Amino acid sequence: MDIRRRNNVTLTGPEGGEGDGPVVVLAHGFGCDQNMWRLILPALARHHRVVLFDYVGSGASDLSAWSEQRYSSLEGYAQDVVEVCDELGLEQAVFVGHSVSAMVGVLAAQSAPERIGSLVMVAPSPRYIDDEGYRGGFSEQDIEELMASLDANYLGWSAAMAPVIMGNPDRPELGQELTNSFCATDPDIARVFAGATFLSDSRESLKSVNLPTLVLECTQDVIAPREVGAYVHAAIPTSRLVTLDATGHCPQLSAPEATVQAILAFLQEAR
Amino acid sequence: MCRTAEEPEPDADRGTDAAFSALLEDSAEDLYEQAPCGYLSTLMDGTIAKANATLLGWLGLERQAVVGRMRFTDLLTVGGKLYHETHFAPLLRMQGELGGIALEMRTGSGDRLPVLVSSVVKYGSGGEPLLIRTTVFDASDRRAYEAQLLRRRQEAEQARAEAERQRERAEDALRQAESDRARLTEALAALQQSLVPTSLPAVPDLESAVYYHTASPDRLGGDFYDLFPLDEDRWAFFLGDVCGKGPAAASLTSLTRYTLRAAALHDPEPATTLATLNTVLHEQYTAAGDPRYCTAVFGTIEPGHDRQHRTVRLASGGHPPALVLRADGRAEFLATPGGLLVGILPDAPFTTAQTTLAPGDTLLLYTDGLTEARTGPTRTSLFGDDALHAFATDHAPAGPQEVITALTGLLKSFGDGLDDDTALLALGVPATRATTAPTTPPATNPTNPAR
Amino acid sequence: MSPLNTSCHDTAAGPVLRVTGDLDYEHAPALRRRVEELILVPGQCLVIDLSGLDFCDSSGITALLAALRHAQAKGADLALAAVPANILRIFSVVGLDRVFTLQA
Repeated sequence: MDIRRRNNVTLTGPEGGEGDGPVVVLAHGFGCDQNMWRLILPALARHHRVVLFDYVGSGASDLSAWSEQRYSSLEGYAQDVVEVCDELGLEQAVFVGHSVSAMVGVLAAQSAPERIGSLVMVAPSPRYIDDEGYRGGFSEQDIEELMASLDANYLGWSAAMAPVIMGNPDRPELGQELTNSFCATDPDIARVFAGATFLSDSRESLKSVNLPTLVLECTQDVIAPREVGAYVHAAIPTSRLVTLDATGHCPQLSAPEATVQAILAFLQEAR
Repeated sequence: MCRTAEEPEPDADRGTDAAFSALLEDSAEDLYEQAPCGYLSTLMDGTIAKANATLLGWLGLERQAVVGRMRFTDLLTVGGKLYHETHFAPLLRMQGELGGIALEMRTGSGDRLPVLVSSVVKYGSGGEPLLIRTTVFDASDRRAYEAQLLRRRQEAEQARAEAERQRERAEDALRQAESDRARLTEALAALQQSLVPTSLPAVPDLESAVYYHTASPDRLGGDFYDLFPLDEDRWAFFLGDVCGKGPAAASLTSLTRYTLRAAALHDPEPATTLATLNTVLHEQYTAAGDPRYCTAVFGTIEPGHDRQHRTVRLASGGHPPALVLRADGRAEFLATPGGLLVGILPDAPFTTAQTTLAPGDTLLLYTDGLTEARTGPTRTSLFGDDALHAFATDHAPAGPQEVITALTGLLKSFGDGLDDDTALLALGVPATRATTAPTTPPATNPTNPAR
Repeated sequence: MSPLNTSCHDTAAGPVLRVTGDLDYEHAPALRRRVEELILVPGQCLVIDLSGLDFCDSSGITALLAALRHAQAKGADLALAAVPANILRIFSVVGLDRVFTLQA
């Protein structure tokens, strides 16, 4: 199987020995695709070899490789990560995972320790649904509402969710070539990914993490509130917590400079 | 039609002016506040900076509770928030604008308000994003319609899936039925071969031919026949008809055939052989309260005073008399009156008869399917003994194959009047030694019982 | 083919069962059941009136033989009355004319 094509793998940054840092793998979360990293990519790729990819079922991945069984749990997504790392022969890479991908990175590092040397968790949450003694912020019913939103936007409005992103003269960094698949997925696949994401519980896995880890949280994040960031930080003794002055769940979009500075500082330190 | 500037119509002009002035009195502020859609401006962090009266009215919220105090996501249901954060916000950041997204808002009283939202980012002169302008349309009716559509689509999908499952089940059942039927056909064919021989053995200096017809669709007939050697010169033959049809008849036929074969080897005297069969059947069935019986002719054929002639000795138990077609053109019944059905009484009388077959003579055994066939335009009268005798007289002299072929044609002419099983067995001495043909192998014979 | 009908009336000598229609594979079991329902006491004679019988095959003969056994088991006799000529011919072929008591 052609893993590079299956996961729409993109490599950028200095080649061979030119880079002065470890390879950085950027993994998108539920909702959109690798274009999520577009705003911080240039700064990262200046010094690091950067790997971008789409999980099977998202973005420009090969949808024919998708199966409900594999992608109903985070292990399936972690398998994607390990297979991409294997394909590229990565060792001790820095895995940057956004949202649910932070937990996918934990699972991938457990199954292939030689591939991943450190973790950057952007707005992570090990569990979205409230539990006894734990506040994730959501109930199962809330997740059902999200599913309904996915359906509602699929029917008649899928065109809006699959916009052709036009060249924006004010934001040249967006470029003209953005695909129209950003954030647009088959609703059945999105539903499975949503279930895998929001019904997951990775709290046990967190305890075993002993890699240098950077936890990035936002001051105002509906999906991953600050108490969840504190929980993740507390669960991983080798982690550092940085709170970005940013709102929303996507600091790499809403506060790209602060986000990339925090990541670069961590890379510098970890070297 | 184009209006010309030179010649305005005075009255119409006055009316238009009045309309325009009313419009001009309407301030932009009023237009914003009272627009037929909701307006909302937020800072880049989502804080609501401005909202129009229409939206506040829909939501049932006071301006001072909203502006500067709430974020856009605070207006959304939890599911809406999740969707906003994972889809809406990233898209808007990337594109700068976004239209027609379906979200749900939460009103002050806790009700849900389905809306369609379009947003555009306003950028500063340096390209930096300043604020987000959002319009909100009430989509209650539309969403209800969409929900209905969605439900219908799901129902249709379920119905289609169910139909598909049903079709697969039906196909499975059909495949199973076909496979069962194939196996049953195979089993019945094997069973049938144990009831009647698939082909008659070749008997030296004797010609034989057979016809076998089963009326039942499972091909398990109640008629039976056989031809087998007793020793070097002597052969035994039998033909009969068991009561009943189907599997019950088949088991009786099987018992009858193998009893006769075994009994004949022990003592080939025809009446003795039938008596043995009678004892076996009576003990097996009638004495046990389940009367079953058969009619049968059992006989032996052996060389007569010279090899040209054959002596036939036979016994009948309740069976129609055998018929002999003589070489000189006569036909005669070989009467065996008074022979009783085999198996109904512990001691039954069987009547014997004897004849000699000269070259060109043919002995015909038949079951009552032939004589009981319904004939005539209304299918009410029976073919009967007399008609059979006349038919035989017409055809005599005739060798076994010729007789069977003629009778097969006769049976076909009965059409649906032939509603019973029918078996015909003919044995004959070839007319002259010079023209003796080897016994026609039934496998290539149109009257092959396996057909 | 006509369906089989039976009707029964009692006489001093015993029940008389009148049979009309076809006594074939399809209908013979009905006659067997009908006979088994009859109450017979020793010394009686069950008469089966076959004057209305159109057709009788081996199944019909089996039913008549079963009736004979049933009557004998009860200590009663059985007689067949008004056997149609065509059926009488069959009876003589199969030897049943000497097994059954036949009445005109």
